Amino acid sequence: MHETVTTAAALLSSLFGMAWLALAMRVHWAQVRDAEPLTASAALTLRIMGGLALALSWVLCLQASHATMAALVWIMSLAGAALAVAQILAWRPRLLAPAIVWLRPTAPAQKQ
Amino acid sequence: MTWLHTWFGLVLGYVLMVAFFFGSLSVFDREIDRWAIPETRFAPQVMPSFDKVLTPIFEKMAPEEEELAAARQRVGGPLPDVMPLMTWSAYTTHRDPVLDMYAEYAITNNPKDPFDHVHGHVTIDPRNGKLLPHDQLKIGSEFFYPLHFSLHLEWMNIGYWIVGFAALVMLAALVSGIVMHRKIFREMFTFRPKKQLRRSVLDLHNLTGVVALPFHFFFALSGLTIFASIYLPLSETMMRPLAERHAIEEAEKSGLAFAPSGVTAPLASVDAMVIEAKRRWADRGMAGEVGFLMVSHVGDANSFVSIYRAGSDRVSRVGQGVHFSGVTGKVIREEPAPSAVSSVNDFLTGLHLQHFKHWLLRWFYVLGGLMGAVCIATGFIFFVEKRKQRHGVEGAKQARWADAMAVTTVTGMLIATASILVANRVLPAELAHKGEWEKAVFWLSWLAALGHAAWRGGAVAQGRISPAWREQCWTVAILASAAVVLNWVTTGDHLLKTISTGFWPVAGFDLALLGAAGLAAFAARALRRRERAAMPSQPAFKILAESPNA
Repeated sequence: MHETVTTAAALLSSLFGMAWLALAMRVHWAQVRDAEPLTASAALTLRIMGGLALALSWVLCLQASHATMAALVWIMSLAGAALAVAQILAWRPRLLAPAIVWLRPTAPAQKQ
Repeated sequence: MTWLHTWFGLVLGYVLMVAFFFGSLSVFDREIDRWAIPETRFAPQVMPSFDKVLTPIFEKMAPEEEELAAARQRVGGPLPDVMPLMTWSAYTTHRDPVLDMYAEYAITNNPKDPFDHVHGHVTIDPRNGKLLPHDQLKIGSEFFYPLHFSLHLEWMNIGYWIVGFAALVMLAALVSGIVMHRKIFREMFTFRPKKQLRRSVLDLHNLTGVVALPFHFFFALSGLTIFASIYLPLSETMMRPLAERHAIEEAEKSGLAFAPSGVTAPLASVDAMVIEAKRRWADRGMAGEVGFLMVSHVGDANSFVSIYRAGSDRVSRVGQGVHFSGVTGKVIREEPAPSAVSSVNDFLTGLHLQHFKHWLLRWFYVLGGLMGAVCIATGFIFFVEKRKQRHGVEGAKQARWADAMAVTTVTGMLIATASILVANRVLPAELAHKGEWEKAVFWLSWLAALGHAAWRGGAVAQGRISPAWREQCWTVAILASAAVVLNWVTTGDHLLKTISTGFWPVAGFDLALLGAAGLAAFAARALRRRERAAMPSQPAFKILAESPNA
């Protein structure tokens, strides 16, 4: 039970990590937030959050199984997460909006 | 670099497609075996009592007829009347309800090879020691799995060499692909399905190649290391004397006899040895079950028994070997922790052969393998699309044949796979050589798919999508659904029953078949839409093709 929950958390963490890394890119950000510009600080925050989430996923994988197995599960979870994020961005990009709900819309560009 | 990626990718892509797709199926080879042989649909079993169950069966075993015939050819005459028994072994994993048992018999009259031998093999139901009929093909582990690395081309091991070469080229294709692609990180999540076909196909090619890059790399590499002894047979050729000397010295050092003494002696209780081995594993904090058990120099005073732990919680397959004297039953040697080099080798081998118990990782492997298949298939389509639009009439022929081969390798392969499953359920279980008939259905249906793709490929020459793609997709959808229905009709194991009783080997495979059928139907409809949408552009193309400057 413990192992299943930890592994599920690791997968979720990989998914969020990849989503944040993708949304730190202008093209993908625009798919979710339309005309709203991606500020440099937001991009940096997303990149750091993404990296941290992937690292957390690795720690969770290590908790769930033997280190040699954890390495494989983690690497494959990254591949699976990246594929999932790419597919979501291709077909239903708005589904990723909740992942960046905590990043407040930035006003300046719209005023100009 | 582009030239290398394009042409090697095209030619060896056909091979890689087989390696990737059947490799993906091999992740669940034991489960496919359960589906194909309904009498083996019961829960996995641990290694049964050696003394009570296995010994009487081992004693009745005999060399395989085909192996004897091959040995007669090697010797160039009749074989000796008595072929001394060399080894007995039994192998199981946490997914095996049935147990595989092997025996080796020495061929003593081959002057060219003093270690020449032949094998005997049986599969039993470990609950009662009953033999499983030899005629029944384990479609997963005996057909799809070897197809994935040997293409079933046994002559001079040529299949291994072709697949090995393809794996080597794949490593080159990965590197050259990365160099050509350049925007690995910038376009890592880029897939634009609504753009023109060539764009979206290339996106998907890059996406599946890049996100699963570690998977592709490590599987090509570990595939090569697993068969390194075939590709670089140094210990069998140039360095054979050295290798033999090394084996003898190792034997002297470890106390495990290299050769039999010639003095007969009875075998002590192996069950007692199993208890001792398990106790030692538990002492090391890694309690476990027996994965592999082998008796060397059976019936001789020098005999010894090697017991290995099943690596269901580790990547390495089996390990922690404990060796016992076959006569006294005392421990001769407990293997120390492996060296760094052999740990890496064990890891690479175990990573590829995956005997571990981790269902999520198994599914991830299927995903990785299918991403590889998508990467290759989109490569084919990109190749065809580029040529059919650019060259007009001259390039059309080239594109037509490449497309027919692509259809055969993608949908044709699925048709062959579904056909063998349908044949498995339709042909009566008591049919003599049933397995051979099933294999024939597989190859013939694949050949039929090739014929169909070649026949319908005219459209490609006119710059359109070959209707063969759509028609074969429908065939896959029908055959895959038929397999599920036939499984229900012939065994009574319908999905409601298998899911409610939690018998996942069969439920999972039925669900996978239905999923494949659904995807194939979806693809067929999408192709139909594309074909219709492409119709109006046809006259424009004709004008272009007919104009002298085109």
